[in-house]
Parts: sequence; C-alpha cells; structure tokens
Amino acid sequence: MSELRTENLTISFGGLTATDNVNFNIKSGEIVGIIGPNGAGKTTLINLIAGIYYPTSGKIWLDDKDISQIPAHERSALGIGRTFQLIHPLEGLTVLQNVMTGFLFAQKMGLKQAREEARKLCRTLELTGLDRATGEINILETKKMEIAKALATNPKVMFLDEVMAGLNSTETLEAIDIVKQIAAERNLAVGVVEHVMGVITKLTHSVIVLDTGRIIAAGPYEDVAQNERVKSAYLGGGV
Amino acid sequence: MNSTVQKNKTWPVIFGILGVIVMILPFFSGPYIQSIGRTVITYMILAISWDMLIRSGQLSFGLAGFFGLGSYAAVLSAVNLHFNPFISIVFAALVAGLIAFLVGAVVLRLRGMYFAITTLALGEIFRIIIHNWTSLTGGPNGKLLPKLAFDGASIPTYAMMVLFALIIIALSEYFKRSRIHYALTAIRDNEIVAKSSGINIYKYLLIAFTVTAAIQGAAGAGFAQLYGFVTPESSFNANYTLIPLAMTLLGGMYSTWGPVIGAVLLGVLGEFLKLYIPYGHLVVYGIIIILVLLFMPWGIVGMAGRLLKKGESHE
Repeated sequence: MSELRTENLTISFGGLTATDNVNFNIKSGEIVGIIGPNGAGKTTLINLIAGIYYPTSGKIWLDDKDISQIPAHERSALGIGRTFQLIHPLEGLTVLQNVMTGFLFAQKMGLKQAREEARKLCRTLELTGLDRATGEINILETKKMEIAKALATNPKVMFLDEVMAGLNSTETLEAIDIVKQIAAERNLAVGVVEHVMGVITKLTHSVIVLDTGRIIAAGPYEDVAQNERVKSAYLGGGV
Repeated sequence: MNSTVQKNKTWPVIFGILGVIVMILPFFSGPYIQSIGRTVITYMILAISWDMLIRSGQLSFGLAGFFGLGSYAAVLSAVNLHFNPFISIVFAALVAGLIAFLVGAVVLRLRGMYFAITTLALGEIFRIIIHNWTSLTGGPNGKLLPKLAFDGASIPTYAMMVLFALIIIALSEYFKRSRIHYALTAIRDNEIVAKSSGINIYKYLLIAFTVTAAIQGAAGAGFAQLYGFVTPESSFNANYTLIPLAMTLLGGMYSTWGPVIGAVLLGVLGEFLKLYIPYGHLVVYGIIIILVLLFMPWGIVGMAGRLLKKGESHE
C-alpha cells in the first residue's frame, strides 16, 4: 500500500506560477484524473512529481519519504513512473531495448534478466515485433511501448500523460482496458492526464481540476462537471 | 530479425581479412610501411575513443588536449621517475583519465556546442600550461625520451600498437554490448526519458568521458614512443582532434567498425597523398568530410547496414 501526497506544491518560472499550492494524493488502487484547460499546469505537475523540475516551495511525499529534492533517476527507482505527452522513443534502441531500460536502471537488473522481464511484460501488453526500430511501429504499439517503459521501472505510482491521444475509438477502448487491468493487477496508484472526457469517465475514480496551476475542484467526475468554476475555466469568461 | 549491423555475418569476414593483412604486414614490408601502420593505428585508436563518447551525444574537441597530456605524462615520468616505456603508457592513461574525471564534474554540465567549445579550450589550457612550465616540461623545446620501447625496433613497436588497438576495439565493443550502451544511447536520444527510466546521466557521462580521455592519453604516450620526443606544438596538434573525427564520420558513427574502416581508408590515403601534395592531404580530408556529410551522413558502416537491410526485406 503506497500513497503519493503533495503538500502546498508550488513552482514559479519567473513571474509565472505554473503550479500553485497544489495539495492532492493518490493511493494504491486509485485512478485519479488530472484535467483542466490547456496551460492549466497538468504536465508541470507530473514533471514536478517525477523530478524533472524541483519545486519553488512545498513538498512531495511518497509514503513517509519527502522526495521533493531528490534527482529524477532516483525517484524512478523509488517507484514514480510516467509516460510522456510528446512521445520520445529512444530511437537508437529497438522496441525491446527501450522497454529494457527501466529494468536495467530503475530496477538495477543485469542484461539477461532485463531482457527476459521486458519480453514478459511486452507479452502481457500484446506488444510484438520487439526487434523493430521505434520508427517502424504504429501509434498503438508506440503507446503500448510507452506504458511498458513506465511499468519497467516497477512503479508504485504511475502517471499517464495523454497516453490515449492520437488513438481511434477502438484503440482507445483497448488502451483503457489495458490501463485498468494493469492498475488492478499491480495495485498501482495512477494519475491520468486526458482531454477526452469519455476516457476520464470510463477510467477514473475521481478527478482533480487544475486551472492556472491551482486545484479548483476535486471529486468524482459527475460532481465536478456540474461545478460552475470548472465550467467557466473550460468555457472562459467570468461567472 | 538481423536489425543491427553487428549481427550480420559480413563484417566478421571483412575484419578477419583486415586482421590477417595487419598481422602479416611487417613480414612483407620495410620500416616505412610499418611506421605508416603505426600512425594509422594511433589515429584509429583516437577515432574509436571519439566515437565512444559521441554515442552519448557529446561532441568532444578535446582529443588533442588529452593526447598531448598523455604524451607529456609518459615522457616526463620516464625522464624524472625512470618509468619503463610500458609503465609510462599506463601512467599516461591514468593521468589523462584522472584529469578528465576532475574537470568532468564541471564540463559535463554543458551540452552541445558549449561542451564542444569547452573541451577545445581545455586542450588549449593544457598546451599553454605545458608550454610555459619550462622547468618541468622543457617549454617550447620539449623533452627527449631517454629510452624507447624495444629500443625503437620497428616490428615489436608495430606489434605493440596492434595489441593496443585490439584492446581498444575490445573495450569499445564492451561499451556496445553492456548496460553502458543502453545508458549512453538513451542519454543521446532524450535525457528526460533517460532519467525517467532511472538512468544516472551524470554517472554514465563521467564514465565515458574519463575512459575516452584515458584512451587518448595512452595514444599520446604510444605516439611519444614512436617519435622519441614531445613538444607543445607537435603533441597538442589540432590534427589529433580533426583527423580522427573525419575518419569516424567517413566510416560511420556509433559503432566500433566505422572508426576502424575510416581510419584505414583515410589514414592510408593520407600517407599516400602526403608524398605528392605535402599538407594537401588535409584539404582532401576536408573535401571528404563535406562529401560524406552531404551524401552519406551515416558513413560507410551505416550505409552498408542500410543496404543489407534493404536487401533482406526484398527477399
């Protein structure tokens, strides 16, 4: 049982406060949606938790450990996994080798074991043709590879940053099933950034709504969707 | 499934033949050809070391700097500490590696052009220090080596350089086949993704920077054994940066065999051209780099790999 918790998490870039006093938590077995209009600070929040940025103030707790000042590669080893909104496959490596990196470094396995584990993981995701270059695989396979790369670090908490973007409706449904199944099997805490509300309603137990870096609403999606502040954040203008 | 060049059966044959030529060369040639062989091997070692670092995406212009540092470390340790030639080569590798390890803490924070220019400046700093520290280094006049390896005998020295090259080829292949390969390639492709997979970027860059600088230092020490003296102008010559770079680009980056092939082709061609157009061979190098970058950016090995792969997919 793990829990990720942010405490007054804040980051400013010059005069812009991209994440503003954010308090939220995810526990094992929960899938939490992170939604909000463009520029609300969703990806910044993930980057802060993953250690790509260090906060201006506030803390990030993984269970009883404050991880807000430790470097990204160590957070990966501690159990923070993530995918990327803009997909960057490691082009110099094959699909299998891409998946192996997490086993090799975050889990500190040897080459042989990492190769076996990566094969096994890809099999559960029904990802085949593992010796291909990353430029030769289609969009659904790329998304599966991204999820596999995140899972290869053996995360306790996993963030999926628009992992469904670019998929057609059939593929999206498949991806939703995969994420649900993995989260349940591994008892993961999952944070999902997504623009398609259909995905949020099918996948998440609750959501937080960000606007200009602040949480303006939280709770089950059906409740939040009725919230006047949320509506105005999406539609613009004052209430 | 042969997606990588190494898995192909063609290369071992080519290198087997090349290896045999290298081995029997001394028995069918005079000291002149052997000295060309030793020069080509020196450049080959530098080219491989440059490639080993560029695999992480870091472009170093510091080869001549560490090469010169190594040649001085070897000669000065032989003069002042009476090290025998072989120990002085190892000592040179350790000195160059140690200095790279220490400056790496600062230099490896830089990326792209900033890293490249800083490594170039680093070499200049080494040269200026050695140029002006007359009491230790002999200043602009340089130093003579009291005793050459094998007393300068041509065939044993040649054999020593061949052995040196084989060690570096093995080391480069180890880099290609171990977890270091995964780390360096990930760093080259995307540092944020690499970090998120748990890769300690600084650690792996420091390993690559230190090991390649040590190789360059040892190459400088080996070269001092061939010539028997060092001066700031000869040991820190910019050619030791530019020629290996051209060789690697011609042969193909990100592999062991690219720099090997590039060094043999360009090295032999250069020695040949030198006879007819002294210094003009550098112009030819320049033209080759431009042509390769324009028409064959993946070099000979990359090109061959692509052609072979195309052939397979048509079968």
